[in-house]
Amino acid sequence: MASNSIKLLSGNSHPELAEKIAELLGLSLSKIGVYQYSNKETSVTIGESIRDEDCYIIQTGSGQQEINDFLMELLIMIHACKTASARRITAVIPNFPYARQDKKDKSRAPITAKLIANLLETAGCDHVITMDLHASQIQGFFHIPVDNLYAEPSVLNYIRTKTDFQNAILVSPDAGGAKRVASIADKLDLNFALIHKERQKANEVSRMVLVGDVKGKSCLLVDDMADTCGTLVMASDTLFENGAKEVIAVVTHGIFSGSAKEKLGKSKLSRMVCTNTLPVDLQLDIYDEIDISPTLAEAIRRLHNGESVSYLFTHAV
Amino acid sequence: MNNIVVFGGSSHPTLVNKICANLGIKSSQIKLGKFSNGETSISIGESVREKDVYVIQSGCGHVNDNFMELLILLNACKTASASRVTAVMPYFCYSRQPDIPYTAKGAPLISKPKESYTFESVPGTPVSSTVTTQKPRSPSDKVNANNNANSIMENMRSPKLQALEQPSPIRISDSGDLHKSPSMSRIPMVPERKENSSELGPLFNANNAGYKLWVAQAGTLIANLLTTAGADHVITMDLHDSQFQGFFDIPVDNLYCKPIAHNYIQYNIPNYQEAVIVSPDAGGAKRAASLADALEISFALIHKEKRSQLPKGPPDASLTSGGGAAVSKKPLISTMSSLALNSQDMKNSSSSSKYVQTTMLVGDVRNKTCIMVDDLVDTSYTITRAAKLLKDQGATKVYALITHGVFSGDALNRVSQSAIDKIIVTNTVPQENTVKFLGKDRVHVLDVSGIFGESIRRIHNGESISMLFEHGW
Repeated sequence: MASNSIKLLSGNSHPELAEKIAELLGLSLSKIGVYQYSNKETSVTIGESIRDEDCYIIQTGSGQQEINDFLMELLIMIHACKTASARRITAVIPNFPYARQDKKDKSRAPITAKLIANLLETAGCDHVITMDLHASQIQGFFHIPVDNLYAEPSVLNYIRTKTDFQNAILVSPDAGGAKRVASIADKLDLNFALIHKERQKANEVSRMVLVGDVKGKSCLLVDDMADTCGTLVMASDTLFENGAKEVIAVVTHGIFSGSAKEKLGKSKLSRMVCTNTLPVDLQLDIYDEIDISPTLAEAIRRLHNGESVSYLFTHAV
Repeated sequence: MNNIVVFGGSSHPTLVNKICANLGIKSSQIKLGKFSNGETSISIGESVREKDVYVIQSGCGHVNDNFMELLILLNACKTASASRVTAVMPYFCYSRQPDIPYTAKGAPLISKPKESYTFESVPGTPVSSTVTTQKPRSPSDKVNANNNANSIMENMRSPKLQALEQPSPIRISDSGDLHKSPSMSRIPMVPERKENSSELGPLFNANNAGYKLWVAQAGTLIANLLTTAGADHVITMDLHDSQFQGFFDIPVDNLYCKPIAHNYIQYNIPNYQEAVIVSPDAGGAKRAASLADALEISFALIHKEKRSQLPKGPPDASLTSGGGAAVSKKPLISTMSSLALNSQDMKNSSSSSKYVQTTMLVGDVRNKTCIMVDDLVDTSYTITRAAKLLKDQGATKVYALITHGVFSGDALNRVSQSAIDKIIVTNTVPQENTVKFLGKDRVHVLDVSGIFGESIRRIHNGESISMLFEHGW
């Protein structure tokens, strides 16, 4: 039996993505059962030998009710692989959970992202693949290698092929995302504008100020995640007030929690585009998806073969 | 009580308040909640710098949520410069992890719901009703338990389940309904244990696997996660396996419920000297025997056995020993055959796959009061079956004395229909529902806050806690 081949294991958070990756790699997902007991404890059963194999566990941080369940699933799966003598265990976490709790912004606030990093290492993870970390500094929380992939190449592809980008302007909905947006604007050779928002408490924005001219332009609103969508909807309103022709929102992680769906349904957004790092259930006409499974699959292939991954930072697959 | 800070997680606020009342302090200010995307959010309202911090969180309810909350709390205290952080887990989650329902072949039991119930008259709804309806891909969804392998496989849409199948020509095509509603849970359930069914779907059939399946044991992981999060000390009660303490590299104080149970029996059970302590399974024999020793009363044991062939003679007569009470022949033996998946399996199973499950009682309970002692009741199959057996054997009254009453899924319903006359359970897990469901006369809740309060006080003051193992509280 050939050993050290790729074994793909999927948790329950995003089976479609796992299947897509498996298909792209020409493999089938490993036989594994991840269940919950009636007392809500997680149970993991591995149905085939993974001794001396290169294991990739695909689990994203999703689900309003189950995010902690998925996290525990991931930890238990990693631990199960470790105790089953896997050669190397890589956690593929397209959307890193708790990424926004990455600093001690108040006294005694937990730095949960750091805790998650430690937990993953404790469970026995040898490598992490993730995508568009909210703050790339989170990579520094780990003592193991972290490959932070970018959705940017795929996003650029989408913008070039599916939008009227010559007449577009890129807009960052907050100051924090300016760098990300500027980098895309550079590559497309477009102008960019910025919306400054005043926040009073988390997930609530009180006032928005637009910096830049968007009159008659098609606006591409780019951000790393869309959660309650309050920001996005307000930003699009602000842009339309300032004479924008259309507003297309492009985000990497579409969490769409709370009343996001209703907000988007009522909003004037022309299009809502996000990648499939998370399972999205919007069922809105304005929704469009960018498939990033090729990037993840290629990263897995390169990692397994010991090739450089940096090509993927600039090129879509 | 200087320098002590007690935080309660969201799992069991009543117990937290009681423990704090016992310590004569107020539970410290803390805000627990969730962000809109489901991530756990906490904020600690008072200084913990150089303080001795105790975080109380039981492993009940939504276990993973509560466990993550505990980890985040421990970590927040640690990073906020607490001098020592102690995790107080009255019920330690995942301590019974390997206890998955197994078939005789050693594969985990993923059963279809049975059409007919043989032992318990209550048709067990598969898991709690709301959850079940939300789990379209759960194996328990196969309501139409027919023997057609094709239809069974079509019902299993989970990719992982598919992956577990033997390669088959049937394409399971539609997975489009997976995310119709965001509120749907995407985690399939292990259906409740149905003792009398060793049938499996095609998934875990040992003939197909070619690899002995095993279930991940999360014990070490949980221990390591707690240590990683920053716990310096763990206090818990009646660990299912005492070996669990060895998984930790930090001190673990395992308190015992025994003194409280001892007290209760002495003062509340009439003629307890004539009663019999019964262990509902062989695993708990030691625990039950030590209680029987302390009370100086007799002891009996119920033993479950699965045999792959019919024993030659009457099984009870040859197998019963000790007290020598004959086991009634009627409901204790059941025969079952593996679910025939295809014609070949059918041929095999008809000849060889007969399993006999015998439940036997070792010891005499005729005309006596029985006190069943166990550390944990989850699905309650074990104790309800044991209660029936005891009544069949002529026991006059059956008490069940349980440390951790988790009562998941359909357990309360089953207990209420069972032969148990009174259930005595501690409040390591919230018991409000149990009392509401079974009525005050049938449930007695023992308070463990005293023993936890005292152990916290002693640990804080650096006193020995070993006397708590012996004396009643």
